[in-house]
Amino acid sequence: MTARDRILSAIRATLGPGKPANEIAVEAALLLEPVDTARPALVAPALPDAFAQKAAAIGTTIDRVSGMAGVPQAAARYLKAHGLPPRLAMQPTPELSALDWAGITPSPQIAPDEPAALGLALWGIAESGSLVIHSGPGNPILMSFLPLHHIVVLREATLLPYLEDYAARLSPQQVPRNAILITGPSGTTDIEGSYVRGAHGPGFLHVILVSGAG
Amino acid sequence: MTARFKDRVAAALADPVLKLAIDRTTGNAERKRAAAVADFPQFGAARARGQAIKDHVIAHLDHYLEMFERNATARGTQVHWAADDAEARAIVTNICLAANARRVTRSKSMLGEEIGLPHALADAGIERVETDLAEHIIQLAGEHPSHIIWPAMHRTREQVAELFKTAHQPPPAAEDPATMVQSARRVLREKFLSADVGISGANFLIADTGATCTVTNEGNAELTTTPPRIHIVTAGIEKLVPSTAHAFALLRLLVRSATGGEMTQYTTFHAGPRRTGDADGPEEMHIVLVDNGRTKMLANEFRDMLRCIRCGACMNHCVVYRQIGGHAYGGTYPGPMGSVLTPVLDGLAISRDLPNACTMNGRCAEVCPVGIPLPTLLRAWRRRSWREGLEPAPVRAGIGLWAQFARRPRLYRLATRLGLRVLRLFGRSGWISRLPLARGWTDYRDMPRPAAKSFMDQYRAEQRARK
Ligand code: SF4
Repeated sequence: MTARDRILSAIRATLGPGKPANEIAVEAALLLEPVDTARPALVAPALPDAFAQKAAAIGTTIDRVSGMAGVPQAAARYLKAHGLPPRLAMQPTPELSALDWAGITPSPQIAPDEPAALGLALWGIAESGSLVIHSGPGNPILMSFLPLHHIVVLREATLLPYLEDYAARLSPQQVPRNAILITGPSGTTDIEGSYVRGAHGPGFLHVILVSGAG
Repeated sequence: MTARFKDRVAAALADPVLKLAIDRTTGNAERKRAAAVADFPQFGAARARGQAIKDHVIAHLDHYLEMFERNATARGTQVHWAADDAEARAIVTNICLAANARRVTRSKSMLGEEIGLPHALADAGIERVETDLAEHIIQLAGEHPSHIIWPAMHRTREQVAELFKTAHQPPPAAEDPATMVQSARRVLREKFLSADVGISGANFLIADTGATCTVTNEGNAELTTTPPRIHIVTAGIEKLVPSTAHAFALLRLLVRSATGGEMTQYTTFHAGPRRTGDADGPEEMHIVLVDNGRTKMLANEFRDMLRCIRCGACMNHCVVYRQIGGHAYGGTYPGPMGSVLTPVLDGLAISRDLPNACTMNGRCAEVCPVGIPLPTLLRAWRRRSWREGLEPAPVRAGIGLWAQFARRPRLYRLATRLGLRVLRLFGRSGWISRLPLARGWTDYRDMPRPAAKSFMDQYRAEQRARK
C-alpha cells in the first residue's frame, strides 16, 4: 500500500463514509457567512483614506498624485529625498513603460543589491493596507524583494475593501503561479524582539497612490 | 527522560540570562497581542469561525486532501505523501540528490524541524542555508528552535553578536540589532541566488486552487522559493482550508495571536512551477503531505489539537514556559501545544513529564485563537500515563496509599493531624524552605507553613462554637 493509500484509508476508517462533494461545498461556503461580523471595520469610509491610514501605520510611506502622468515626478521626488541616484529597476509592464521618464533611467533588469525598484500593484486592500502582486511575464517576483527601496504604483480605482474581495477576484482554476500580498516593509523581531527593518526584503516601501483615470 | 527533564528545567531556572531573554520576547508578545485583540472587537466571532473552519476541514479531511492533490497537480505541482517523518525525509533528500543539489536554502518551517529535515540534509552531504534570521542564528549556534515564532528568542543580542563575529566576513561593526540584521542580509544574499533547491513550509494548503500559503515578515521566503531550480514544500495534512477566503479568515486570527500585527509583511501563495513567459520562478514545484501521527490524533481524544495554527500564543502566555523556555521541553514544539504534541510524536513513555509540568491555570486555552482546550488535552495525557502504568512507583504508591486513607475518614483525619504537626516543625517563619522528600518543590519555591489545624478540625470547632 502506498503512503497515500495508508493515510487516506486511516482517515476514512475514522471518519466513516463522506458526504457528497456538493454538500460539503455548501457547508464550507456557509462557514463564511455573515462575513461582516468576523472581520474588522474599515478605518475610514473612503477606500483611499482607509488604505493610506493602514499602510502608514505599518511603516509604508505614501505619496498621493492625480493621474498616472504624475508618477515619474513622484518617483523622482522620492529618489531625491533619499539621496538616491536617478535610476530605477522597473517592472516591465506597459502601464509603466508608457510614461515619460525624462530624467530617470529605468531598467528592466534588477541587480542583487539594487537600491530602488518600481512596480505596479494589481490591487490594494483597504482593510490592511496591503498591495497585491502576481507573477507573470510582466512581473519578475525578485523585483519586489531585491531592492532596498521598493516603490509601488497603486491606482485608487483598483482598491478593494477587504481581503475577501481579493479572494473573490481569483478564479480557482486560474490562480497565478505566485501571488503575494505585501503589507509594509520587510522587518524582523528575531533579536530580542526588537523591530528592525529591511531584514531580507526592502527596508523601505513607498506607495504612489494615483487618483483619477489618466 | 524523567531525570533529564528535571535536569533541563533545573539548568534553565539557574540561567538568569535566559530568563531575561524569555521575559523580553514573551512580555512583548503578550502586550502586542492584547492590543491587537482590543483593536478587533469582532475577535470572538472570528475565533468561533476559525474553529468552525478547522473542524469542518478535519471532518472532511480525505475529501479536502484529494481536492488539493487534484488542483495542485493541475497547476503542475508534484504531490508526494509521507506517512511518517522517515518517509518525508527520504522524499525530500531524494529530490535534492536526484537534482544534484549542492546548496539548499530553507525558509523557517516547524514541520521541517518535526521531521528532522536539517539533520537529514546534512547526512546527505547537502549544504543547508537557513534564511530566516532566527534560524540562521540557531544554525550558527548548532541549536534547535526554542519557540515556534521566535526560534532564537533564548539568545540575547550579545550572544548573537558573538556568533556573527566569527561566522560573518567581515564581522558586523556593532552589536546593535540593526547592524547585525544588515550583516546577515549581506551574508545570506549571495546564498539565496546560488541555491539549487529552496525548501519552505506552508501555513495553509488551499484545496480549491491547489496553492500553498506561507506568511513571513522578512521576505526570506520569496528569496528562498524564487531563484532555485526546485521548490519543495513540506506541510502537515491538517493545514488544508477549502478556499483562499477561508485562509484569510484564519490569517486574521493567526497574525494577531502570533505577533500582534494584523497581516504579516508577506503573505505568499504558490501554485506550481514557472509558466511559459514567466520572468522568474522554479522549474519544479513539489509538495510533501506529511501525516506523522496526525491520522492517529484524528482517531483519538486529541483530535482538537489538529486545529492548531501554530501561532505560539499559548506558550507566550504560559507561566511554565516563561520560567523554563523552550529547550527544557525537549521536543520540537514547546509550551502547552508542545506538551500535547510531543507525546504523539516522541511517545508518552519519554515525554510523560510534559503534561505533568502544567499548572492548569487555563491561560493557554483562553488565548488560543482556535479554541483548543489545551488543559483538557493535557489531563487526557495524564490519565493515559496512569492507565499505561508509566507513572513512577513512588507516585503510584503515594496515590495508592492516599486512596487507602481517603476511604477511611477517621483514619484520614488522624493522619492529616499528624502530618500537620510534622510539617510545622520545618517552617518557623511561616514558610518552609527545605523539606525532605520534596526538594523538587522547595529548591525553587518555598512552601507555606501549614495551618495549625486541618480544615476539618477547624470546621468542627467552628460548628461547636456556633451551637
Ligand atoms: S495551541 Fe492554539 S495558541 Fe497554541 S500554537 Fe496552536 S493555535 Fe496557537
